[in-house]
Amino acid sequence: MNPFTAWFALFFAAVFTQNILLTNYLGMCPFLGASREIKTSFGLGAAVVFVMTFTTPLNWILYHRLLIPLGLEYLGLIVFICLIAAFTQLIELVIERVSDALYASLGIFLPLITVNCAILGASLFMVARSYTFLQTTAYGFGGGLGWMLAILAMAGIRQRIAKNRLPRGLEGAGIALIIAGLMAMAFTGFTGITAPS
Amino acid sequence: MLNEFLLGVGVVTGLNAFLALLLVLAERTLSHYGPCTLTINDEKKLVVPGGQDLLSTLKREGLFIPSACGGRGSCGLCKVTVLDGGDPLATEIPWLKPEEIARHVRLACQVRIKHDLRLQLPREWFAIRQFQATVVSIRDLTHDIKELRLRLVDPPEIEFQAGQFIQLEVPPYELTDEPVYRAYSISSPPSNRREIELEIRYVPNGLCTTWVHRHLNVGDPVTFNGPYGQFVLRPGNRPIIAIAGGSGMAPLKAIFLDMAEKGIARSARYFFGARSRRDLFLVEEMKALETRIPGFQFIPALSNPLPEDRWEGETGLITEVAARHVPDASGAEAYLCGSSFLIKAAIAMLTERGMPRERIYFDDFG
Amino acid sequence: MKTAARRLFLENLGANNPVFAQVLGICSTLAVTNRVRNTVVMSLGVIFTLTAANLIVSLLRRHIPARVRMMSEVLIIATFVLLFDILLRAFSPEISRQLGPYVGLIITNCIIMGRAEAFALSHPPGLSALDGLSSGLGYAYVLLLIATIREILGAGTFLEMRVLGEGWMPWTLLAMAPGAFFVLALLVWILKGWVLARPAAEGSPS
Repeated sequence: MNPFTAWFALFFAAVFTQNILLTNYLGMCPFLGASREIKTSFGLGAAVVFVMTFTTPLNWILYHRLLIPLGLEYLGLIVFICLIAAFTQLIELVIERVSDALYASLGIFLPLITVNCAILGASLFMVARSYTFLQTTAYGFGGGLGWMLAILAMAGIRQRIAKNRLPRGLEGAGIALIIAGLMAMAFTGFTGITAPS
Repeated sequence: MLNEFLLGVGVVTGLNAFLALLLVLAERTLSHYGPCTLTINDEKKLVVPGGQDLLSTLKREGLFIPSACGGRGSCGLCKVTVLDGGDPLATEIPWLKPEEIARHVRLACQVRIKHDLRLQLPREWFAIRQFQATVVSIRDLTHDIKELRLRLVDPPEIEFQAGQFIQLEVPPYELTDEPVYRAYSISSPPSNRREIELEIRYVPNGLCTTWVHRHLNVGDPVTFNGPYGQFVLRPGNRPIIAIAGGSGMAPLKAIFLDMAEKGIARSARYFFGARSRRDLFLVEEMKALETRIPGFQFIPALSNPLPEDRWEGETGLITEVAARHVPDASGAEAYLCGSSFLIKAAIAMLTERGMPRERIYFDDFG
Repeated sequence: MKTAARRLFLENLGANNPVFAQVLGICSTLAVTNRVRNTVVMSLGVIFTLTAANLIVSLLRRHIPARVRMMSEVLIIATFVLLFDILLRAFSPEISRQLGPYVGLIITNCIIMGRAEAFALSHPPGLSALDGLSSGLGYAYVLLLIATIREILGAGTFLEMRVLGEGWMPWTLLAMAPGAFFVLALLVWILKGWVLARPAAEGSPS
């Protein structure tokens, strides 16, 4: 497999067959809570894509070029979360300066992203699966995109059923979980393209 | 062993220090906007520090823009014409009519001052003042509503129209580090220029209501600004239908007392709703108005009367009670004050009975 | 004070349960509940971190500047999670390997950050620790319920011991991602419906 295909295969797997949300259960809280409208979901998804695409490779550099040479791999957790927090705050400042409209649609989600398990999870999985730097770029970008795809699909479905009557107790989280389960079933149909794991 | 420990701590501390430095630098450079000039109505010029929203900046300069939600974008009252401020944000669009957007109207709380701006403000706003007052009495109207009476100190008198509201300043205390403002209607009639009355209902964890109910004492100094609002009696002869619940009594009390004092004789029906008897208040005062205003009727109703209330008046949700009394609303005008739920239900009920939407006036603090 | 503590404790187990009432901490809920043993370990980690972090945040609450509030909380939580992770790797490498990155993800478990912000910042240390403990227990029993269902029906075992006969065809779907979603949905439905049905809803506007 030439490198381009390998990159693309990993990217495709990160988006579909090993969707970070539907297969690894990461990033569920905003997924269940904030996915009622397509517009807000798009803003949230875009923010996740942006942060995940950049923080995962950055964390790779910190892990492989700083922590390993110094024998401090066990500090990975703390280093990763600090980088993610700092990065999101930095991006928030930049967006606030550059564009009011972009800030209003995306920027308000950024503080939430810091504690989104998907972002930290991507970095942790990157370490657990010993990805190379190139593989990490595919995984970071694909993972974020896959998350956005899942939340957009969820928002679309929820917007459709917003007017329907549900049994009490199923409203909100309950029906969202059932929809997520059905989506997860659909996504397992993509198996056939696997990522090195 | 010690070396490893120091190395670990050192690396984490160093990394965090580096990131923190980066953030501080970024904030210094990116969020620093420098002084900006605001030109108001092509005459008045104000130089203000940039970076903050227009609403709080203008407030700091002594220009008070009406606002009931404290800058969160959920009341739509702070409309200002900003000639070169760019397009409205998604948070403003629900509050702006298309022709307002074409005229460059924005919500002041959503406009970030990044460069010089040209604004247009209505002349009346320059007359809005800040008042220092003293608490003269705090009296319980119900188990959760207190009546606050303030005597003005500086300036000593206030001129307003019945139905208008003021913004009460809540100083920093246990629940807030910075002063916040909350809107309350004046419940005393305009004839009294030296004192005003407010009705404040306790909301658990509410910043202002907790301060008033649990911390404020007679003799304390209080700051407020105003008067604001368009919820006033319209001139004319149309019969009046007023519907209110809870602390929505305040502006309507001012309006009807004012009517009585001025001898305005218009047919008016005031429907006031509460849950049970312990939530009713000022019933005798309102009933007394029936003798002072020809054509005035006060109709209280309880939605959940308890057996011990021995209630013999109207029952049900206040909008339903009003519906029973008003089969045809096409010739009247309506004044509503209460929760969003009440206002929505009342508007639906009135339009169903023939009242055109433009003749329904309401105060909704959300 | 005693009754307030008791009320808090019971509330966190029931009406204010982090998982099915507040819908927090779902990520780990779904990931580890395919095996009861893993669930037990994860619950211990969450209870430990919740109690310890709530305690420390509460002790420091008057000294944390507003601007770095979130970062400080994250650091405190990360420290305890790291502690637990290392201890787990030392004493139980097999389980640590099975749980993989999910132990580290306790840092981003919304329950912990949520309780720190919502409770520990504004309450005394003793009560905050109790809040952490009870929220953790509330989390634990719901997860154990789900794990029991998933492991018994999905693999025929309970705590790695075979419970159902050899002829039992495991409901593999329950052991996979979709199964987790469905079981949790069912649980939320039952518990929420039951908990919601009891106090009469305060509906009428006044």
